[in-house]
Amino acid sequence: MESLLEINNLKTHFRTRDGWVHAVDGVSFNIAPGEKLGVVGESGCGKSVTALSIMRLVQRPPGEIVDGSILFGGQDLLDISESSMRKVRGKQIGMIFQDPLNSLNPVMTIGNQITEVLELHLGLRGQAARNRTVELLREVGIPEAEKRLHSYPHQFSGGMRQRVMIAMALACRPQLIIADEPTTALDVTVQAQILELINSISTEYKSAVMLITHDLGVVAGMTDRVVVMYAGNVIEMAPTDELFANPRHPYTLGLLASVPRLDEERQDMLTPIEGSPPDLLHPPQGCRFAPRCLFVTNQCKNPPPLRNVGSNHIAACWYDINNPAEQQRAEARRAARLRQLEQLDATAQTIVASTLDEQTTAN
Amino acid sequence: MSSTSQQVIPPSLPEGESLDFLTLTPQLARKRRSQLRIIADRFVRNRIAVVGMVVLAIITLATIFAPFLTHASAVDPDPSIKLDLNNIFGAPSLLHPLGTDELGRDELARILYGGRVSLLVGISSMAVALLFGIGIGTFAGYYGGLLDNLLMRFTDVILAIPLYLLLFVLSASFSNGSVLNVVFLIAIFGWTYTARLVRGEFLALKEREFVLAARTLGATNMRLMLRHILPNAAGPIIVNATLLVGANIILESVLSFFGFGIQIPLASWGSMVATARDYFLEDPILVWAPGLCILIVVLSFNLMGDGLRDALDPYLTER
Amino acid sequence: MGRYIIRRLLQAIPLLILVSVVVFILIHLLPGGPERVLFNPRLSAAAREALKVRLGLDKPIWLQYVFWLKGAVTGDFGNSFADGQLVISDIGARVPATIELFGAALLFALIIAVPLGIISAVRQYGLADYSITILGYFGISMPIFFFALIMQEIFSVKLGWLPDFGRSSDADFATGFDYFLDYLLHLILPMIVLSLAFMAGWSRYMRSSMLEVIRQDYMRTARAKGLGPVRVLLRHGIRNALIPLLTIVALDFGGIAGGAAVTETIFAWPGLGRLFLDALSARDYPVLLAMLLMSAVVVVLFNLIADVLYGVLDPRIRFG
Repeated sequence: MESLLEINNLKTHFRTRDGWVHAVDGVSFNIAPGEKLGVVGESGCGKSVTALSIMRLVQRPPGEIVDGSILFGGQDLLDISESSMRKVRGKQIGMIFQDPLNSLNPVMTIGNQITEVLELHLGLRGQAARNRTVELLREVGIPEAEKRLHSYPHQFSGGMRQRVMIAMALACRPQLIIADEPTTALDVTVQAQILELINSISTEYKSAVMLITHDLGVVAGMTDRVVVMYAGNVIEMAPTDELFANPRHPYTLGLLASVPRLDEERQDMLTPIEGSPPDLLHPPQGCRFAPRCLFVTNQCKNPPPLRNVGSNHIAACWYDINNPAEQQRAEARRAARLRQLEQLDATAQTIVASTLDEQTTAN
Repeated sequence: MSSTSQQVIPPSLPEGESLDFLTLTPQLARKRRSQLRIIADRFVRNRIAVVGMVVLAIITLATIFAPFLTHASAVDPDPSIKLDLNNIFGAPSLLHPLGTDELGRDELARILYGGRVSLLVGISSMAVALLFGIGIGTFAGYYGGLLDNLLMRFTDVILAIPLYLLLFVLSASFSNGSVLNVVFLIAIFGWTYTARLVRGEFLALKEREFVLAARTLGATNMRLMLRHILPNAAGPIIVNATLLVGANIILESVLSFFGFGIQIPLASWGSMVATARDYFLEDPILVWAPGLCILIVVLSFNLMGDGLRDALDPYLTER
Repeated sequence: MGRYIIRRLLQAIPLLILVSVVVFILIHLLPGGPERVLFNPRLSAAAREALKVRLGLDKPIWLQYVFWLKGAVTGDFGNSFADGQLVISDIGARVPATIELFGAALLFALIIAVPLGIISAVRQYGLADYSITILGYFGISMPIFFFALIMQEIFSVKLGWLPDFGRSSDADFATGFDYFLDYLLHLILPMIVLSLAFMAGWSRYMRSSMLEVIRQDYMRTARAKGLGPVRVLLRHGIRNALIPLLTIVALDFGGIAGGAAVTETIFAWPGLGRLFLDALSARDYPVLLAMLLMSAVVVVLFNLIADVLYGVLDPRIRFG
């Protein structure tokens, strides 16, 4: 089946006073028509920049798409002219942003903001445009749609605003919807509703969805496949269920382990992944996750390629983390680290205790 | 142990291998600079502001060292500049780089001495305005309530009357053309902005924790006001002060132009333009010289002030 | 919104009363009081006394104030010492001239400043931005009387393109259109001079307002919808950026009384500024008092308008 969207070796860098930041450094993945793809990673891993690169909305200075191709509907989006790109934006690819309050124009009615898209791409005017807008608002679940045409964004709640954004993105029935952290700015109770809405309406319109998030819970119920990104690279990609059941990259493993689960016995501590992502100004040679990895060896100074590790499942790691020997090795490391931390803790306690003693004897 | 560096390696390596390739990639050990240094650096990077500052320094020094730069025999003031009624409206020459004025006096000397007056008035009135403004703003912002209300009403009344009309009337009543009078006259305008600024700062910071902490340690009100809260407003106050000098110089020059400010025997650039106006045809330099001086000096203060504002702004996005 | 307006108006009243007190005191501090006017050697002592009584100058000062205020509230400011006419009509005669000059200057400044500010922001750090910024600095640093003199000298005296003073030539014109043309010619120079400072200040303000707006997320959303850069700018950007500027314009309009004084003097424009200066030197108390109070009212009024304007233009406040 031919892909709807095919990203090949995308590289987007940002020029700063101190040098180039390699925000997206060789990312490749596909989206099939009607497929729902999740893109997961922590802040700064390059997932948003990837989305903006697809839409060619990256700020020209300081950002630059320096390499790669993005094939969509038979053309390379990075090759076409700006005016051709404008026909793609909003019409064939719709985008939903993270913060609906700031992403909607505060001085325009939401009706106008939606009809704007209809006028631009579908040539609808006047009453026809308004009718379609009302229809859209109803579809996304906004009550009293007719009256709401004349409302302003600030008069809505967060969830309603996001629904408006969804309506705006879907107005022209695009083939692909990119949702960049659509629920992050919303209350937890509303998040599920919005996700459900995106799910159902995209299915109905037969649109593919690229759902970007840092929250694993979000992709679990909704996506067909997941791409995991780290420090500007894709490090794992698999069908959703497979990924959760059988993670093959230490980072993914760490991510899953750090999420508290309802079905497990309650632990005393959450287990985060120690450390922080690398500096993208000077990305390390070799595997970018190595400094935080429990499985690391000297082999990791060579950047690991994306290997096939299962059906439709690829991961960028030299090691098979399912291998018991490897697991033992990692476990030993972890135990040693825990011991070290306990030691540090004990030392700290004694220092504090002795300082307090000194103070009380002094007084 | 774990830090932002790339050094988070579980310590015990069963294989005994070394993982040297994971050590910190070079770079990024920034020299720690003091905050003052940072601000100064940012200011210096703004070349235009620096140019303004340099120009200002040159002009100020020139006015201070006027007697050495001209032929005037005494240090001060105008009467020492020799009249020479045989040489009125002289063209620029080696002896008189800017020519002579309607009474044969050396124009350059007049400019420099006039500059003394203009700059002195501008800066002193800023100082006075600043003092008043900080004082009033501090009390209004810190104590709030009725005092704040009264002081702000008072400020509003002053601001409601158009500035120039107010100044004209006041100077007709009180001014005798001396520098002191004019300084206080102009200061009336300046303190309102400073007061608002300082008051705003106080209102915002009054309730913050560090004030509460200082108070529990026994700090008196005065101490709190001066040493804890006020320094926070230092940045905006400095910017405000710099821009205020420019505004004051213009104010003084307008007043003097109308005869309400500096009067003979003293002269400021503004009054010089006023007298030169009648002789525009005969000797345009007499109008251009003092006028341009005002323009350049005010421009420099504005450039400097904006440069300071950008240097002090913590949220300025870097290019 | 309506309630807000009423509340502000009520707050303005005590302020204006305070202002009237201050103004009254100030004027009466002027050396050489109304006695100057009365110091007409030809008047006999008795006539002088009678004049004093008639003008109410024999009463204690606070009573004089009360009488004045009572009249002022109804618009009766008494008669001018200088020409004996009703103060209100003296002022009224000059108001149109000042409004024409000031209004034209503000309009001109706005028309120029807005596009300049926009261009400056959109082409930030480019040549256009650089030049506009420099011109802006010159504009706000320029002493207005100097600029006026220079312009007068260049365009009027040297080039002879424009008349150098007054509001109209004394000549007789054949048609009404000729009168109008002559009037326009007289208006141009003072208008440009007066507009300079505003133009400079507003374009800088527009620039920073625009820069703020450009950075906003909704601009990115507009582009994501497929809108071209021009439409994004015009439909989404400018509307937002203009709102704060317009409130500043309203505030500046409040400075009409004092602002034009300098320009009017240099160009001999027959407006309120000149009236004030003449009255000041003549110690024409009634005129001075009236002008000061009325201009304070205008300032306060336009402050209020500026606030309300923001509320009207920004739907976030209108439909809070």
